[in-house]
Amino acid sequence: MKRLIILLFPLLSSCAVYDAITLTGFDPSEYRIIAEIRTDASVYYNTCPNTPMSQANAQALAYKTQLFENYSLEIPNNENTIKAAKDLNAMAQGLVTRYQQDQNTPVLFCRLKMKNIESTATIIQHVLGNRPR
Amino acid sequence: MNMDQINQALADLANCNDPAFAQAAQNIQQAAQAAQAGQFSTQDLAELLKDTQRQLDVVQEMSQLQFKETLNTAINGLLVIIGAVY
Repeated sequence: MKRLIILLFPLLSSCAVYDAITLTGFDPSEYRIIAEIRTDASVYYNTCPNTPMSQANAQALAYKTQLFENYSLEIPNNENTIKAAKDLNAMAQGLVTRYQQDQNTPVLFCRLKMKNIESTATIIQHVLGNRPR
Repeated sequence: MNMDQINQALADLANCNDPAFAQAAQNIQQAAQAAQAGQFSTQDLAELLKDTQRQLDVVQEMSQLQFKETLNTAINGLLVIIGAVY
């Protein structure tokens, strides 16, 4: 076993090992926010035909994606999540901007946006849930 | 690449085994059809295509993070074994 351990370590780059050792552990608050974003997007999908309600929902969702980005931002050794949070926030902000430009935003546009946000949040949630405890 | 080839590539992706890629391809197909039917502006279509690009970036970042998580688990396991041996 000792030989196996000694043989295994040089195969990995020192950066990869360092990143893995210093990896941020499971954060229940971070996990909760991403779970809420996923849930909200799936529920708000159904309100897309109601424009005033949908516009309010888009803003509420963009607030949470902004919160997720800001929350992740100052956690050390968290670069992958920070980049993912920025992308997710950009997706949600895009819907808010669209409603601000034109009240008659197509229902299909809203639905596709909500689907995109939900599936992206699901991918992030899956990985954050596997963080070491 | 012409429009037929793009549609074929999207159809192939929509039928692939990865649910995230299949969903993304279906969304692009739906958005492209809506744009062709005049329901969407080209700006709307561009924004949805940007979403797909963002989603691919997220998949890449999360794959890296998952690799680190697996490595972390393996290293911790090895440390436990080393601790047990010595």
